Amino acid sequence: MISSKNFQFLTAAVIVVAMPLFMKSGSLASEVLIYALAAMACNLLLGYTGLLSFGQGVFFGLGSYTLGIVLTRLPISMPLALLGAVVVGGIGAAIVGWVAIRQRGTYFVMLTLAFAQMFYFLAYSLPDLTGGDNGLMDIPRKSISVAGQTLIPLETPWQFYGFVAVLFLIVYWMLRTVCDSIFGRTLLAVRDNEERAAAVGYNLRLLKLQAFVISGAVTGLAGALHALMTGIAPLSNAEYHTSEMILVMTVIGGTGNLLASLLGAAFYVLLGDWLSTLWPRWLLILGVVLMIVSLGMQGGLWGLCQKLAQLARGSRQARQDDDKSGAQGTGANGTNGTNGGHA
Amino acid sequence: MSIYLLQTINGIGIGMLYFLLAVGLSIVFGLLRFVNFAHGTFYLLGAYFCYQMAQWGMSFWLSLVVVPLAVGAVGWVTEKLILRHVYSKPHEFHILITVGFALVIQEVVIMIWGPLGDSVAVPETLNGVVMWGSFIYPKYRLFVIGFTAVLAVIIWWVLEGTRLGSVVRAGSESTEMVSLLGMNVFGIFSLVFALGVGLAALAGVLAAPIRGVSPFMGVEALGVAFVVVVVGGLGSFSGALVGGLLIGIVQSLMSTIWPPGASLMIYVAMAAVLLLRPNGLLGRQV
Repeated sequence: MISSKNFQFLTAAVIVVAMPLFMKSGSLASEVLIYALAAMACNLLLGYTGLLSFGQGVFFGLGSYTLGIVLTRLPISMPLALLGAVVVGGIGAAIVGWVAIRQRGTYFVMLTLAFAQMFYFLAYSLPDLTGGDNGLMDIPRKSISVAGQTLIPLETPWQFYGFVAVLFLIVYWMLRTVCDSIFGRTLLAVRDNEERAAAVGYNLRLLKLQAFVISGAVTGLAGALHALMTGIAPLSNAEYHTSEMILVMTVIGGTGNLLASLLGAAFYVLLGDWLSTLWPRWLLILGVVLMIVSLGMQGGLWGLCQKLAQLARGSRQARQDDDKSGAQGTGANGTNGTNGGHA
Repeated sequence: MSIYLLQTINGIGIGMLYFLLAVGLSIVFGLLRFVNFAHGTFYLLGAYFCYQMAQWGMSFWLSLVVVPLAVGAVGWVTEKLILRHVYSKPHEFHILITVGFALVIQEVVIMIWGPLGDSVAVPETLNGVVMWGSFIYPKYRLFVIGFTAVLAVIIWWVLEGTRLGSVVRAGSESTEMVSLLGMNVFGIFSLVFALGVGLAALAGVLAAPIRGVSPFMGVEALGVAFVVVVVGGLGSFSGALVGGLLIGIVQSLMSTIWPPGASLMIYVAMAAVLLLRPNGLLGRQV
């Protein structure tokens, strides 16, 4: 039988391939995957490590600005600029993480939000570097070519989507591998019971910092791709609103499962695209959804899908599969014992 | 008169507003370990209610009394209807539900008053400046400093000198112990929540003639309130006061030295305090 890991990867691949079939806009489809990257990175922190970070906008903004600055001012090719955004996102996360991880719980959350605000005002105060209020404009999106021969064309939105889709699947596979590794299992142990994990002898700060850096690097990539897609790196990519949006996608999708983040991002982006033309105040609906999820539907959309699947199967086996962490579905991981915290 | 002296006095005025904004957040956290990400929203509501009353031609003095009561009532109802259902859940859900609530209120504010900000006139009796020799200062800002100073004394007295205050302080040390002694901690919590929210609204009313109103002022206020409690120490009245004044003065002085970076500097000040004293200036171990 196919393993749960491979099954979920295949599902992601099928979604990625199927999106062009039923969506009319390539930009919209790219946006779904870009935010799914950011939401997965946020999920690695919230769902796997138990860290609620309000600072994801910092890394998203860092990615956007890095790519924008490099491509508009330096004679460096786009793939290298993307790599730069990943590195800068990771370094930014190391700095924010190093300070914030000294604190736990609510204090940690408040610190990440304060850092998000700090970064926003920093970007605002340095208009020579970031373009201030206007952001960086006219970021070029050239096709990737070697010796005059176009290897990967990026002119049309659907060509760009193909590029993003490949990157998305690579990162998804890498994150999946990280989560299934011993490191990932240890993160689950930290999430479920911090005291116990510390007592066993794990270096909590180091573990959390590593998770933070991975998350920042992936979010930086997402920010860079977003800037590449729109051709601008706006100040709003560094705003509180971006941090909030990434967190909302993660929570609505469901925590503790990477595929859930794709679901959450798709829900947010597509609902936003559809509703914002009908009713500009659609964020109100989102606020209500967020409250409902926090009140009762703690597995988010993914949890809802699992419940429906369980109803459809109606067997006892299904109930076991639907064990709290929900992430692996095999119910065989040893860190699942306390079922603490996250649904 | 020295520009720095002037800015320091300005900073005290702004700092006292920050204190009003943060003290409710801090005490509510102290009592039930509940962090209210919608706190800035109540500041926003305070400012907009004041704006609306001014539009209706009612006096500023009336809104100074009515608005905190009205917003306090909104907070009380919110606590009863929504928040109390999540106390038993992990703190992520406290945060998420208040974030959702803040989003809803912000959108409602835009629906009613529009996405653009507006200014609020300074009340007529406080228009103009005070002159003592070479000292020239706007009347309204002096009033804000005096009024908030009196309020701070009253809040201090309520916390230190009344039965409610002793329960709140004991509750922030150990909620379990207070409920074992037969106190209705949740009833007291509703009241304290409404008080904290009312104070945030009052800060909104007082700030409206200085800074005007805009639908996104809630987010900025939330960031500032967090910085104040992180700097001062969570759950501490004097921490909120010291933190508020420090942040207000830093921001005010910086707006002379490097105007674009004034808001940035309050976060830099926070980072500096955290590196030296991770639990805040007057905070206990959390």
